[in-house]
Amino acid sequence: MAQVLRRRGRIQVKLDKREREALLGIVDSLSPRLAAPLASAPRAYDDAKLQAEYDRWVRPDIDKGREVDLTMVRDALAGGEDTLPLTEPQALAWLRAFNHLRIAAGEVLGIEGDGWDETATDETKQKPEYGVLIALGYLQEELVAALES
Amino acid sequence: MATTSAPAPTKAPAKSPERQERDQREFGWNVMVWNDPITLMSYVVLVLRRLFGYDHATATRLMLQVHNEGRAVVATQPREQAEVSVAQLHSFGLQATLGRP
Repeated sequence: MAQVLRRRGRIQVKLDKREREALLGIVDSLSPRLAAPLASAPRAYDDAKLQAEYDRWVRPDIDKGREVDLTMVRDALAGGEDTLPLTEPQALAWLRAFNHLRIAAGEVLGIEGDGWDETATDETKQKPEYGVLIALGYLQEELVAALES
Repeated sequence: MATTSAPAPTKAPAKSPERQERDQREFGWNVMVWNDPITLMSYVVLVLRRLFGYDHATATRLMLQVHNEGRAVVATQPREQAEVSVAQLHSFGLQATLGRP
């Protein structure tokens, strides 16, 4: 099972081949959804004019950064190694990428409120996006714990 | 609590309405984080600590305020800095806005 370890200040993610392939599948299937603004994409301003300026001048850098994060994760997973050493900035990039992917999965599932994991139907639990939420949530928790330790 | 005597308070000079407006425009922007059902609590705490330098207790208190009340002001900054903070929060996938108090 996937593990995130912190030894002597270094973070290591241990993923077997099957887990890496599953994660690559998640990245590849949900990344296209992130290219277009999600309905839940956070706004910065109430004011339409200020928001338009933000979308024009700031949003492109955020989108570019997200692509860099996703590429970093994709390249690491495609490298063929079971143990993936991460620097702190890389671990933060993985966390950011996973959060965007989880939000996209939540949007596919139509999740709008807290407690979704307690009220999910069997049908919802069978959907791949539900598995994405659980699997990436687990890895996020592990990465956070490693970074906070 | 420290017991050293503080200097006598001096009355701040009155500000013109234009100056007051400018100060609020430039210095009084709230950075607000909003609750969303997907993002993990532990992740929000980590992000608040990394971006704003809060200790674990403060970041946890703010995260719980977001979770329980739907939103929390996590910083008050000059507008440009507040916009950078919001952009950083967005890059982490958090729901964040900035606005005047």
